[in-house]
Amino acid sequence: MPVGPAPGAGAGAIELSDVSVMIGGQGGDGTLTVSDLLGRYFRKQGLYVYTSRNVLSRIRGGHADASVRASRDPIAAVKAHVDCLVAFDQEAIDLGRPELAPHGFVLYDSTAFRTEVPNSVGFPFATLVGGPLGQPIFKNTAAYGALSVVFGFDPGKTREVIEERFRRRGEAALEKNLKALEIGRQAASDTAGVAHRFSLLGGEAHDLVLTTGNQAVALGFVVGGGRFFAGYPITPATEIMEYLQRYLPPVDGVVRQAEDELAAINMVIGASYAGARAMTSTSGPGLSLMTEGIGHAGTAEVPVVVADCQRVGPSTGEPTRHEQSDLAHLVNLGHGEYPRFILAPSSPVDAFGITVEALNLADRWRLPVILLLDQALCQNTIASPRFDLGAVKIDRGQRISAEEAPKLEQYKAYQVTEDGPSPFAPPGTPGLWSQVTGNEHDEWGHVSVNRANRVRMMRKRMGKLAKAQPELPPGRLFGPATAKVGLVGYGSTSGPILEAQTALASGGVPTRYYQARTIFPVPVHELDPFLAAVDVAYVVEHNYTGQYGRLLRESLPWHHAKLRSILKFDGDSFRAPEIVERVREARP
Amino acid sequence: MTAQSAKATQPIWCPGCGDFGVLAAVKKAALNQKIATHDLVLVGGIGCSGSIHNFLEVNGIHALHGRLLAQAVGIKLANPGLTVVAAGGDGDGYAIGMGHFVHAFKKNASIVYLVMNNETYGLTKGQASPTSQIGFEGNVESPFDAILTALSIPAPNFIARAFSGDPKSMTAILEEALRFTRDGRGFAFVEDLSPCVTYNDTYKLWREKVIDVATLPGYDPSDRTSTFRLCLEQMRAGRIPIGVMHRPKESTQDGLEVKLLGTRPGPVRTDIRLETNRPQYEKLLASVA
Repeated sequence: MPVGPAPGAGAGAIELSDVSVMIGGQGGDGTLTVSDLLGRYFRKQGLYVYTSRNVLSRIRGGHADASVRASRDPIAAVKAHVDCLVAFDQEAIDLGRPELAPHGFVLYDSTAFRTEVPNSVGFPFATLVGGPLGQPIFKNTAAYGALSVVFGFDPGKTREVIEERFRRRGEAALEKNLKALEIGRQAASDTAGVAHRFSLLGGEAHDLVLTTGNQAVALGFVVGGGRFFAGYPITPATEIMEYLQRYLPPVDGVVRQAEDELAAINMVIGASYAGARAMTSTSGPGLSLMTEGIGHAGTAEVPVVVADCQRVGPSTGEPTRHEQSDLAHLVNLGHGEYPRFILAPSSPVDAFGITVEALNLADRWRLPVILLLDQALCQNTIASPRFDLGAVKIDRGQRISAEEAPKLEQYKAYQVTEDGPSPFAPPGTPGLWSQVTGNEHDEWGHVSVNRANRVRMMRKRMGKLAKAQPELPPGRLFGPATAKVGLVGYGSTSGPILEAQTALASGGVPTRYYQARTIFPVPVHELDPFLAAVDVAYVVEHNYTGQYGRLLRESLPWHHAKLRSILKFDGDSFRAPEIVERVREARP
Repeated sequence: MTAQSAKATQPIWCPGCGDFGVLAAVKKAALNQKIATHDLVLVGGIGCSGSIHNFLEVNGIHALHGRLLAQAVGIKLANPGLTVVAAGGDGDGYAIGMGHFVHAFKKNASIVYLVMNNETYGLTKGQASPTSQIGFEGNVESPFDAILTALSIPAPNFIARAFSGDPKSMTAILEEALRFTRDGRGFAFVEDLSPCVTYNDTYKLWREKVIDVATLPGYDPSDRTSTFRLCLEQMRAGRIPIGVMHRPKESTQDGLEVKLLGTRPGPVRTDIRLETNRPQYEKLLASVA
């Protein structure tokens, strides 16, 4: 039987157009499953969805929580307050309670513990399902059933979600989950004050898919013609490799899990030298190990794409938590000097497109291209427009084909050209051979320490940065051009910044937001007019030292005084009100 | 007409260096096997031996120190039609590159790996290497033996040791290694005893100590256990075993590239144009729910 303080008698349904549900419990309690089920339901209702998770770096045990947000308007951030909390352990109450909205409602598993928090109802989910189904593990599905009553979900669609989620696990598993759903629904319906606590204002139906940045990068890689991937498991990048293990073999591609990140980047260099479009993905610690290899690709002029899914660093840091603290390392990556492009997508759809562009740019300019991602973008699930092939174009740069080869009089792998990159003939091109090296070399690829040659080759390589600038992904501007307050950010901060912009505008502070998509080389031609038009610009980023802000101050020193930082480095992503408050605090 | 690509340069090696023997043997073996220069890729390591690709008119990539095997495997998996020979020294392969060395046997990609072992770091002027004998340059660590390590990994590899002082058998061994990889059978490891005449001139000593395992009673290259024992016994007796140490009995195509791709063209030769792949891509994108 339900326990706990009786919910507010006769409370009417609270109408919400933007709802947040937090589910917490021990690892293995199935909190992520509940959030997944809710996300699927909300999407069916035509709502935009954003789910995030807070898990420990361990397989089972320890507290884990997830949050699901659904809204009529597009969202890409965690909501500041929780409307409904589902707790499988006391820690979920302790962590969730400070985030609860004043009207917040708590459902908890009274098999595990009791709580006296207001507006809470306990159901012994584990016992309720344990009897009829033999195992308490179905308690998460029962909790989803109870939630469907709290929110007044459509029973048919609630069931469809279970069918979609569990059908591939076999009929027996599906049957048990459908039973658990009914048990949860029944218990909640039988308890006064639980049904219809909230009513969700639905939206018009959108054709959205639930996806993550990691999935988007994997898909972009495949349609961009990527056919070789080598990586080493590392949170939060591993899913890119896992998706590609499924996607690449059917298109004659190869995926290898290497013995370490040193092998991964060097296998990618080998594959790319041979003529394949190749990529690796990693996070901070792996990036540190790959640094020598990326520099080798830069000076040997071998195209590679490296996706860096930033997490809390340095060292092992917090593997599952969010940060944007690799930027400064990437800008100066490695010993010596070589050109590299750093591109930062702001959403899964953007990540899909920018991955294709990264492959094209790497081939076209024959250098390393870094995809700068972050944990929230990589792993948080978002309801996104479908990926399509409309904008996909493949540009392999200046490759010498088997047909062209016989027409050449001579072939130099490092020929100095007006353009910058040299036309390249991959091994196997009839009649030609390519010698490439990380040693300084002449145009033929022969090792050289000649001083004039060194100067010429440095200019050849480094000159690519300025020459390529017009081809790099442009930043995007949001908000009125007349606004005097600027906001700057990249990656997943886009979601909370856009939300903060709306809130600031309705509070009388119009803002102009520059969403950076090329981090390096710094697009001064875009940032200069943007900064010139505002009185102050807040660089919003997740690190202690304001790395991106520092890069901008260094690159646009004449705007130095206008640039301020809004920083967060607690391992969690920004909530929109945090940005709003910091801008308001600083305003006179 | 054939375009002029990079010409071979003069070797940087000291007169009398064991690596000259290796260069000659690679050239001869490749010619005997009639490998087109544009289909042959030499992957060089860092150290004196690692510059070998500059002295031949073939494709060459000069890898980072210790990483030549990773690059060589990447090349082979990307385009299985290429013949890939990785060549480096004992420091490159057995010290900084040891992780990749051990994994190369396990991976079993069809590439030749040629280690020119001179028991010293020649290019940096004679420090002790993983294979240095106790006492050399103050070395107190036990010397590493690559053949025993290779034999201890149960994978269908070709394993051999040659000696620069015996160019004829070295060429024969290299030719067999090339055939082995070109048949898609897997990884072929050849250690060549290649003395450093400047910092560790072991020509005379090694000439006295080498013994071809094929001449020993009980020699069976398909049986790791017996070869391992023969090698250990000879080493204890102060000899250096050379010759073919392992050759799988069955000539099956166990190469990693064959397992992954079969007869399909692989990453480089497959058609990546959007038009060709559109139906498959649309299906893939529609699978995101």
